[in-house]
Amino acid sequence: MMSLFRFVFAVLCFTAILVFAVYLRSANHRIFYNLCTHRAEQSRLKQQLGNKQLQLESLINPAAISQHLQPQIDTD
Amino acid sequence: MGAFLALAGRCFYLQYSKGEHYIDACIKQQQSFYPRKPQRGVILDRRGRVLAASNRIAILFAEPRLIKDPKTTSNKLAEVLDMGAHEICKLITESKNPGFVKIKADADENQASAASKIYGVGVQYDWQRHYPMGRLAAHTVGFTSLDNRGLGGIEFQYDTELSGQPGQSIFFADVYRRPICQIRNSKFEIRNSEDGCGIILTIDAAIQEFARAELIKQHESYEAESAIAIVAEPSSGAILALVSLPDFDPSRLAPAPVAGAASAIGAEAKNNDWDPDNFRNRAITDQFEPGSIIKPIIAAIALDAGVVNKHEKIFCENGNYVGRGFGRIGEYRRGFGDLTLREILIESSNIGMAKIGQRLGKDRLYEGLKFFGFGKKTGIDLPGEAEGQLRPASQWTGYSVTRIPFGQEISVTAIQLVQAFCILANGGHLVQPYLVKATVDTKGQIVKLRRPPPAIGYVVEPQVAKWIISDALTGVVNEGTGNRAKLKDWQVFGKTGTAQIANTAGGPLGLAQGRGYAENAYIASFVASAPAENPSVVVLVSLYKPNVKLGKGYTGGVVAAPVAAAILEKTLNYLEKTYR
Repeated sequence: MMSLFRFVFAVLCFTAILVFAVYLRSANHRIFYNLCTHRAEQSRLKQQLGNKQLQLESLINPAAISQHLQPQIDTD
Repeated sequence: MGAFLALAGRCFYLQYSKGEHYIDACIKQQQSFYPRKPQRGVILDRRGRVLAASNRIAILFAEPRLIKDPKTTSNKLAEVLDMGAHEICKLITESKNPGFVKIKADADENQASAASKIYGVGVQYDWQRHYPMGRLAAHTVGFTSLDNRGLGGIEFQYDTELSGQPGQSIFFADVYRRPICQIRNSKFEIRNSEDGCGIILTIDAAIQEFARAELIKQHESYEAESAIAIVAEPSSGAILALVSLPDFDPSRLAPAPVAGAASAIGAEAKNNDWDPDNFRNRAITDQFEPGSIIKPIIAAIALDAGVVNKHEKIFCENGNYVGRGFGRIGEYRRGFGDLTLREILIESSNIGMAKIGQRLGKDRLYEGLKFFGFGKKTGIDLPGEAEGQLRPASQWTGYSVTRIPFGQEISVTAIQLVQAFCILANGGHLVQPYLVKATVDTKGQIVKLRRPPPAIGYVVEPQVAKWIISDALTGVVNEGTGNRAKLKDWQVFGKTGTAQIANTAGGPLGLAQGRGYAENAYIASFVASAPAENPSVVVLVSLYKPNVKLGKGYTGGVVAAPVAAAILEKTLNYLEKTYR
């Protein structure tokens, strides 16, 4: 009876090791894909920041401020 | 046994003989190319304000050959994109390209994410150029095409530096085209993309705004055909502002990428933004006879050559100077008797200048003008610069040597005039006008820095230049034709110019028949600088064909001088506050 259990246990362990080995073999690919995803996200956030900066620049540049203040100067 | 041997033989054949073929086919199927378009470099003003920058946009596209039911797809897209379903359906069904049709440029992240889930619709990323300051420095900055190539201004002149280098990544992709591994030993080249370098200009956006705002007011008030204003640093030749009117908005030049914006295009065309004439940077492309504004340059050449001194009086023929070989010369306002050189400049006497020209002679006059930079390009870093027209001395007549000293028979560009007056203002040292202060890479490291050249040698002696500006030209503002340029807090010096425009009517292709000047057509100019003790900026304002019929005047002293004074005052106040 014990030898049967030992046999089943050994087969299970062997199977688990094989499954784990396959999982480890693809770890490189998984990590590479995650890296690409994170790089893309970083780039997207950088571009979003750039976009906000451009929006800010278009509001606070001398031409925009002058245009904004001109009606007030005219009424004064 | 036979079957086993056959199987083994087949395996050997596939592995050994056809092995390479299947490996290539496998790699071809699995590898994916990802082209990397570089980000175009930024263009900044001298204080780091953004004049031009690129940002990534998401372009939604459809592949018509995959879409079986355009109406259903259009309805789904319409909900996501807030566009008309009919419009989207029309784009898909009427597309001449079965593989690609652009639906919306510049979609936001949510729209891109939702639309990409619809079968037959994809998202592509591209760079879009933004000009946050719009028209402010349009001619200097320039503009780009739809595929991000520079077409004018600094965008064109420095297109190589701004464009960067495209790159390419090659990697293995799984069945869903997700990257899983980078290929290192591919026969195709792997290149890292390099983003474009940034360009820092000498332009100050605040000074540019001062110049543009003042110039626009006068341009509209006098209904002039065009106008220019240039502000420069005389010690280095750095251009702080360069305005050319009429101008355009570079961010509204590219045709809208999708149908439906046709009405916007029509509106812009009505605003003349697409008039090709507006793209011309008149400060460097337009050449004109300068008129009296060139007189201080000639006076400096004559003083330096020793043919005239500051104290001697020259008889100005009471307004009527006739002679063999040079015809008849008159004055603009009234005749004069004996005038000193200072008085000749203050009163802007044509006869006085003609006599100085005769004393100089054609060779010295020609050489002097060449040393001041006339008759050749200044080399400013913008495309399309004209070199003006100064005929070789061998082709001069008696008319030339008497007309050129008061600004006829010579063509100059505005930038050449600014260069010449910078030379006078900085004590006689040669300077070259320039716009680009530095080029920086993506990490902010300086790649190239333009330092002002050391002041070696001079075009005219420093004491001559100093006398011209601090004595003669201050007299023009305090006592003469430039009195509208007086400022309370600074001593201004300057010179007016009211040049006639050559008659172009009646000839073939509108070319001048060589028959005099057009009636009631003038170029009103004024060049000014302050403070006289130590000039920090030179301002040139020029208005082309102010409307004489308005009865408000047309001379440089009336039309251009007030604008130059306003620009000068604002600039000096600003520089004082900024650099205190």
